[in-house]
Amino acid sequence: MERSFAKEIALLRKGAGEVFEGEGILAIAKALLQSGVSYVTGYQGAPVSHLMDVFHDAKELLAELGVHYAPAANEAGAAAMLAASINYPVRGAAVWKSTVGTNVASDALSNLASAGVKGGVVMVVGEDYGEGASIIQERTHAFAMKSSMWLMDPRPDHEHLVPLIEKAFELSEASSTPVMAEVRIRACHMRGRFIAKDNVKPRYGTHAPIPEPDFDYSRICLPPATYTQEKDKIERRFPAARAFIREHRLNEVLDGDLNDVGIIVQGGHTNTVLRALARLGLADHFGATRVPVLVLNVTYPLVPEEITGFCAGKRAVLIVEEGNPDYLEQAIAATLREGDIQTRVIGKKVLPLAGEYTAEVVLTGLVRFLEGTMPRGVDVAQVARVLEEATAPGRKAKALIGATLPPRPPGFCTGCPERPVFAAMKIVQREVGQVHVAADIGCHSFATLPPFNMGNSILGYGLGLSSAQAVAPLFGEKRTITVMGDGGFWHNGLSSGVSAAVQNRTDGVMIVLDNNYSSATGQQAIPSTRNSRQDVPQRLPIEQALRAMGVRWIRTQGTYRVKDMVKTLREALTTKEKGLKVIVAAEECMLARQRREKPRYAAALKAGERVVRTRYGVDAATCTGDHSCIRLSGCPSLTIRDNPDPLRRDPVAYVNNDCVGCGLCGEVADAAQLCPSFYRADIVSNPTPRDLWWMRLRERVIGALQRWAERRNPAPAPMPAPAE
Amino acid sequence: MSAARPISVLISAMGGEGGGVMTDWIVAAAQKADLPVQGTSIPGVAQRTGATTYLVEIWPQTNAELGGRRPILAVHPEPAGVDVVIATELVEAARCCERGFVSPDRTLLIAATRRVYATVEKQAMGDGRFDPERAFRALREIPARTMLYDPDRLPPPARGASLNALSLGLLAGAGVLPIPHEAFRAAIRAGVAPETNLRGFEAGLALAAEGLPGPEPAAAPLPPRAELPEMLRHAAATLPADVLAVAEIALPRLVHYQSAAYARRYLERLGPVLAADPAPGGVHRLSAEVARQLALWMCYEDVVRVAQLKSSAARFAELRAEVRAKEGEPVAVTEFLKPGIGEAADLLPPFLGRPLRAWAERTGRIGRWHLALRVRSTSITGFLALFLLARLRRWRPFSARFAEEQAAIAAWLARILAAARRGDHDLALEIAACARLLKGYGDTYRRGREGFALVMQHAVDPARAAPAGDASAPGRVARAREAALADPEHKTLRATLASLAAPPPLARAAE
Repeated sequence: MERSFAKEIALLRKGAGEVFEGEGILAIAKALLQSGVSYVTGYQGAPVSHLMDVFHDAKELLAELGVHYAPAANEAGAAAMLAASINYPVRGAAVWKSTVGTNVASDALSNLASAGVKGGVVMVVGEDYGEGASIIQERTHAFAMKSSMWLMDPRPDHEHLVPLIEKAFELSEASSTPVMAEVRIRACHMRGRFIAKDNVKPRYGTHAPIPEPDFDYSRICLPPATYTQEKDKIERRFPAARAFIREHRLNEVLDGDLNDVGIIVQGGHTNTVLRALARLGLADHFGATRVPVLVLNVTYPLVPEEITGFCAGKRAVLIVEEGNPDYLEQAIAATLREGDIQTRVIGKKVLPLAGEYTAEVVLTGLVRFLEGTMPRGVDVAQVARVLEEATAPGRKAKALIGATLPPRPPGFCTGCPERPVFAAMKIVQREVGQVHVAADIGCHSFATLPPFNMGNSILGYGLGLSSAQAVAPLFGEKRTITVMGDGGFWHNGLSSGVSAAVQNRTDGVMIVLDNNYSSATGQQAIPSTRNSRQDVPQRLPIEQALRAMGVRWIRTQGTYRVKDMVKTLREALTTKEKGLKVIVAAEECMLARQRREKPRYAAALKAGERVVRTRYGVDAATCTGDHSCIRLSGCPSLTIRDNPDPLRRDPVAYVNNDCVGCGLCGEVADAAQLCPSFYRADIVSNPTPRDLWWMRLRERVIGALQRWAERRNPAPAPMPAPAE
Repeated sequence: MSAARPISVLISAMGGEGGGVMTDWIVAAAQKADLPVQGTSIPGVAQRTGATTYLVEIWPQTNAELGGRRPILAVHPEPAGVDVVIATELVEAARCCERGFVSPDRTLLIAATRRVYATVEKQAMGDGRFDPERAFRALREIPARTMLYDPDRLPPPARGASLNALSLGLLAGAGVLPIPHEAFRAAIRAGVAPETNLRGFEAGLALAAEGLPGPEPAAAPLPPRAELPEMLRHAAATLPADVLAVAEIALPRLVHYQSAAYARRYLERLGPVLAADPAPGGVHRLSAEVARQLALWMCYEDVVRVAQLKSSAARFAELRAEVRAKEGEPVAVTEFLKPGIGEAADLLPPFLGRPLRAWAERTGRIGRWHLALRVRSTSITGFLALFLLARLRRWRPFSARFAEEQAAIAAWLARILAAARRGDHDLALEIAACARLLKGYGDTYRRGREGFALVMQHAVDPARAAPAGDASAPGRVARAREAALADPEHKTLRATLASLAAPPPLARAAE
């Protein structure tokens, strides 16, 4: 990690009455400290990485408070750490990305939830759903249901979010149950403010040890205790939770005069619903609404009395519940049926089952609901007109554009050290033919997009090698390639992939992209991190771990020399040696490197030191506009521009000034024998007298030769293009 | 219910452009002005060069005025409900319109109209760029008001400023937010790279006050052209204007590439095409296209040409500008050259070159044996290597490649002429345009030639064998030609040709 978080740490120190202005995920971090947590853990991933980055740097503050912070090796590890609250009255928190992280954590979570907790446990799960998400689209809700854990879905503004997180600990303790707080991407990244409270020192922590270990067989997840635990969930924990939710008014009712209908909304979508109502003239911008709204800040468990109380006397309620299955809608319908309340439940009939509930989606659903239910006092025609007016400009723009706009998905950064590996793979496949590529999670997943289009499946974080193990034998002699990042390697790849491959003597190739950090999540340190801003020495090189696991064929290799990578890959794919062959492609993440190098370069330049800047370029005159270099490199700084030759039409390749001089484009042109158009330029700033002497000499000799050639055979001057 | 409503600002940016930083500035400035504000974003992995958006909502009354009341601010941008959209690129600006956020009665669009090409546009074998006019149509019609600018055409210091700081200046200057300029300045001062960003902000502010520059400035006058030998000048003078426009570029290039005699040969080849060109309405479409393609083909890229271009004085000057080397900064240039067995065979006389190439192809050495050269063209020895290689120009007409290319040109022209003479002018034009498939070096070039041969054999020749006047024939050739540019492996081409006629044999995989 090459960033400093001093500003963020200062926010976490705010005391009672001070104004906290910052990001949502930091507001949550502050809420944890205000709740007196003893320990915090997690596994990085958008949108919750930031909390971990800041805690990682906040050692001093945490030591003052007695809070133990340790990142886990994966989410299962993080969930297992919550065990501290099973036996001891200490509050603990864990963060991860959901649903993928919750998937990984779920083994430990089942046990945690069954045993129940003494100290409050809150899991902050970053719901990576909708636009900007990088994972499969599922709901976290199911985990809460199956393990009888509680699920909060707080209203997305700091003033609701912070107290609700604090309440989550109390709810957890009141019902001996871990609580998940589901926070969506936009809420995590939200900039807002709230009035801070003092941080609370936990009773037990790094400053105050627990006197005695606790032994209580009823906390062990083995029969017969498990039977008792299951019963306890039903008989004690559920009722206790419902009572707490009701008494502390965790869910809110916003009353309105149009009370023959109502809306029940997941807390996280409250703002969107209120804004849609305001658009339709049915609410103001301060939350005063004419249509009654029940805000579910806790979506599991539901409190039946709250549901029946809200719905009684209403003809219909709209359920605003994102994603599928429609758990809330089903539960609410069942509750009303049991209570013999005849209110119609309308949810997925007017709102989509799949996809994010954006402003337009919710507005459309709400209008359809009003049109269908015709509440007294609502001008349905007017409401429909508002929707028509809101959506017309988009339709008109689409018609005017009249073609699909080119998509712009994320891709490898300029100078990314992973890109050359895929260029090398592409080149090798020209010789050996197409091979099955088991992809994995990480920045390298972008190789599945153009221009590489590489990767046949993605099965989860660190599961690439496992996913290749049944494919490999199906291809006979032709080997498969697994591509895994160092993040995935430590998360799960080593334990489940490598161990099984060694045990089963699987024949295949794995490339581990060792870029020094868990990069896609924001460059957090992992066991093989060689150095970082914190100057942590490398603890466990990947090669050493592989040797210990019994892998014999290992090559560690820099990535920018494409030719060498091609050679190593070719060898791995064709060697007679059986078994797992691992290429550790080691090169530091360019984002991190630039973050360090750029200020260093700027300082040296300013100080008048001799510095050399390297960048690459394309000669427009020799480029013929075929773009095979782009298809093999995909670098953002390798782009195209109008052909300066008036006789040619196809755009020429061009290296823009974002180039960081990694050299891949030149390497690729060289290794794939593409074309002679690439050049490398080393520009010397603050040259020494010796540099200048040489420059003048060269310019004189070369200039004379050029003038001689020009006299004999003058080059044509540039011309404007002829009219078409 | 109060008529006041939140002011909604949507920022569209690509990863690495500082959209998040801009969001922070606006939020901080609003906070400094004591206005309720909320910012959200969905960076996810989009920070890695992808397109993403940021939303800021500001309530137009101060916290003090509200006295503890808290407005509900949105998490998602509303359809046709955004007051300001800031975009840093043309297609992204159009995307904001397409996604429905821009409204004709409300939205100010502040957008840079430059293009940053997406991978799908860049990777096309020909020209895959999105038609900018389509985007401009939306930009002109949809927003209530626009502030559009091309960052490369702005006067300094606005040119070269980071777009986030510049956009913030434009936003502040537009006067749509109830935030004083000083609050923006304070926000920048508290953030990253305050000095440069303040300069960018002030530049934007000044631009907003003075008005954004109009369309592009007049092009700089071109330097005088090289003199043509008298004879060529006379011959060229007889060409019709639309063909002359091409020939005026082609002839000096051919002289420079080879010789005046070679340029004469160009005119001789063009003569029969002109004679067969009916030039409907006085427009010589066929002749002009042949003139263009013929010039490019006759100046085919070989090592001699590459050395000539790379060692020229003009290139040295352009390169320095391109890499932004300052006056007095030495620049060392390294070329990546990889002459292989193919290039050697090209240079040898036909009786040696042909068997060598045939042997290399037969034994699979063609793409394998080569000399990886890194030539430091700014050093005296490196330059001399290029310089001497360029002197081989005189030898070129005796080389195997020269003979091959001239024969291929003759065959191509014969096909064009045959079609034109029997009245199939559109077909002739399509055949002429097929020469665009021939480009690149090494493997790329071999592939291009393979595609060209396939199109000639399986699309052009059947059309010529059929009776004249088949109106669908030109379309078939055009389709085959486009298919040859669809993918480097010629999968699409083969499928297209198969749908046109009998399938050609399968060829090796490429790229």
